[in-house]
Amino acid sequence: MSPDLKDLIRNPTIAELELVARFAALKADARRERLFEAFAQTGLPGRRIEGWRWTDFRAAVTSLDAPKTAPARDPLVRDGVATLRFTPARYTAPTSLPAGLRLLAKDDVQAMGGAEDAPLGALAAALSGGKTPGTLLVEVGAGAPVHLHMVFEGPGAINASRIVFLLRPGAELHVSESHLGGAALSAALVEFTLNKGARLHRAVYQVGGAGEAQAVTALIEQDGDAESFLTTLALGARVARLETRLVHRETGSKATLNAAYLAGAGLQADITTHVRHGAPSCVTRQLTKGAVLDGGRGVFQGKFHVPRTSGQQTDASMQHNALLLEEGAEVFARPELEILADDVQCAHGNTSGALDAAQLFYLRQRGIPLTQARAMLTEAFIAQALEGAGELEDALRAEAQAWLNHAA
Amino acid sequence: MLSNPAGAPYIPGMLKIENLTATVGEGEDAKTILNALSLAVPTGEVHAVMGPNGAGKSTLSYVLTGREGYAVTGGSATLNGADILALEPEARAAAGLFLSFQYPVEIPGVPVMTFVRTAMNAQRKARGETEISAPDFIKKSREIARVLSLDPEMLKRPVNVGFSGGEKKRLEIYQMMMLEPRFMVLDETDSGLDIDALRTVAEGVNALRAPDRGMLVITHYQRLLDYIKPDKVHVLARGRIIRTGGPELAHRLEAEGYDGVLAEAV
Repeated sequence: MSPDLKDLIRNPTIAELELVARFAALKADARRERLFEAFAQTGLPGRRIEGWRWTDFRAAVTSLDAPKTAPARDPLVRDGVATLRFTPARYTAPTSLPAGLRLLAKDDVQAMGGAEDAPLGALAAALSGGKTPGTLLVEVGAGAPVHLHMVFEGPGAINASRIVFLLRPGAELHVSESHLGGAALSAALVEFTLNKGARLHRAVYQVGGAGEAQAVTALIEQDGDAESFLTTLALGARVARLETRLVHRETGSKATLNAAYLAGAGLQADITTHVRHGAPSCVTRQLTKGAVLDGGRGVFQGKFHVPRTSGQQTDASMQHNALLLEEGAEVFARPELEILADDVQCAHGNTSGALDAAQLFYLRQRGIPLTQARAMLTEAFIAQALEGAGELEDALRAEAQAWLNHAA
Repeated sequence: MLSNPAGAPYIPGMLKIENLTATVGEGEDAKTILNALSLAVPTGEVHAVMGPNGAGKSTLSYVLTGREGYAVTGGSATLNGADILALEPEARAAAGLFLSFQYPVEIPGVPVMTFVRTAMNAQRKARGETEISAPDFIKKSREIARVLSLDPEMLKRPVNVGFSGGEKKRLEIYQMMMLEPRFMVLDETDSGLDIDALRTVAEGVNALRAPDRGMLVITHYQRLLDYIKPDKVHVLARGRIIRTGGPELAHRLEAEGYDGVLAEAV
C-alpha cells in the first residue's frame, strides 16, 4: 500500500486500514478516489463526529471478518417481480425485465453530490465494483408502474453496492429493498432522481446480526410535482444506519417518509433523515415510530431545512414517537427544524415513554396475557408508520409482529 | 344464543369478599381505601353497591380485577372458592371475572373484533378449551350487535377511539355478552348514558342474568336499578359495607340521600 493511501485516514483503525486496502485493490478511477477521500474525512464515523454521536461505526466495526450469522430470510420477495441481488461475491439480475425499465451495469464510478455529508454513502460508492458493478444505472420510463425488488445480503466481509435510479417524467416505480445482513459491513447507496411528475414508492426492510454493521444511504432529488412514498422497517444490527437525504428542488414536490424501528438487546437502529425544501410549495410528511427492548438502542435524527427564499409555502410535519418497552431500553432523538422562510407551515412532535398502563390493564382484564397485550399494543403503535407501504404493508407488519411475539 | 346451563350448582358465596383491606399509593403516602370490606354474592344473584363519591366503589372493582397501584393489606376475595387476589389480571378474566369499566380505555390501532376475538381465544386457551372459529365468532358478534343496536361498522374501528360516552358503554356490554363471563362487575355503567341507551344496555345486562352467573352493579344513582333489578343493595362508605338491604334501600337512598344512612351507621 502506498504511503499516501495509508495516510488518507487519520489514526486509522484496523478495519479502516482494511477498507483502504480494499479500495486500493479496485481499478483506479479519479471519481472513485474522490469518493473515498470524502469518506476518509471522517473515516468510519463515530461519536466524535456530528450526527454520529449515538451510532458509532468506528467502535462497532472492529474487524472485517465475515460474520457467523447467515443472512435473514427475505419477507419481501415475491413471484413475478424482477429481483436484483447484491452480495459480496456477485450481482445478479433477471434475464427479463419489466417494460419501461432499463438496466446498465457500469464498471466505472459515477460522481455523487454531497458525498461529504454522507460518509457511508460515499464509502459504498467508493467500494462498489470488482465483482459487482461500479454503478448500476436504472432508468424508468413513463407508462405503467414498474415493480422491482432488490436484495442485499452476505455472506462475506464487505457488501458495497450502488444503484442510481432515474425516473423519467411521469414514471412510476415501486421498489422494495431487503437489507438482510450476513456481511461484517454492508453499505448500500441508492440514489433516485424523480423527474417532473414521477412517483416513487420505496419500501425498505432491514435486519442484521449483533456482530454486523449496516448502512443504507438514500439520496433523493425531486423535480416539480414529483412524489415519493418511503416506508422503512428497521430491526437493527450492532449498528444500523438508515439515512435518507431528500431535496425538493422544484415547486409542488411531495414526500412521505415513514419509518418504524424495533431494536432488541445488543442491537441498534438509526433512522436519520435530512429534507431540504429547495423550492416553494413543497410538502413533506414524516412519521417515525420505534420500540426498544432492554439493551437495545433506537436513534431518530430528523432535519427539515427550509431556506429563506426558496422555501416559501413549505408544508412540512415531522413526528417521532418511541416506546421504551423495558427498563434499560435507550432512545435518542433529535428532531430539528431549520426554518429561514417566514410563510411556512412546519410542525413537529417527539415523544418517548412506556406503554400506557391503563391500556395494558384493559387488555389483561379481558384475558389477554401480559406479553401478548404488550405485543398487541406495540404493533398498533407502530402500525401507522407502515400503512403507506401499499401491497407490502402486510409483509412488513408480519415481520414486526413476529419480532414482537418473539421479543416481548 | 347465550349459554345458560340448567342445573348449575348454587354457590352461596360465588363472589365472597371478607375483611378486604386495600391501600393506594406507596410508603407514607399509602392511603387506606377499602377497610375490612365484606360482602357475598351467591350464584344467580345481582347485587348493587351504592355509595357516595370517594367511598371506594371504583377501588373495589379495581382491586377485584387486579389493577396495578393497589395493595391488598388484609382480607380475602374468592370466586367460586378460588383465591382471585393471587392471580394475574388475565387469569382472573379466564376464571370468569369481567369488569365493565367506568371509563373504557381507547386502544388506537386495534379493531374491536380483533381485540375481542384475541381476548376470547386467550381465555379459552387458558381454560384448555378450543378456539372459536372465525365464522362462529362473526355470527355471534352479529347477533349481539343487533341486540345492542350497535352499528356493525363500529366493530371494525379501533377500540373506543372516537366513540361517544354511550357507545363506549354499549361496547363494554357487547364485550361482556361476547365473553360470557361467570361474574360481572359493572362500574358506573349508567354514567354518560341517556335514557334510551340505558334501556338498551340494561337489556343486554339482563340477558346475561343466569342461575350460574353473578353480578355486582356499582352505581351512584338508583336510576340504573330500575332497569337492572338487584336482589340486594349494599351501601359502601368509608371503605366498608355499612348497610345491606333489599331493593327498597336504593329507593330510600335516592329519596333521602346518603346522609341519613351514614349517620345511622356511625
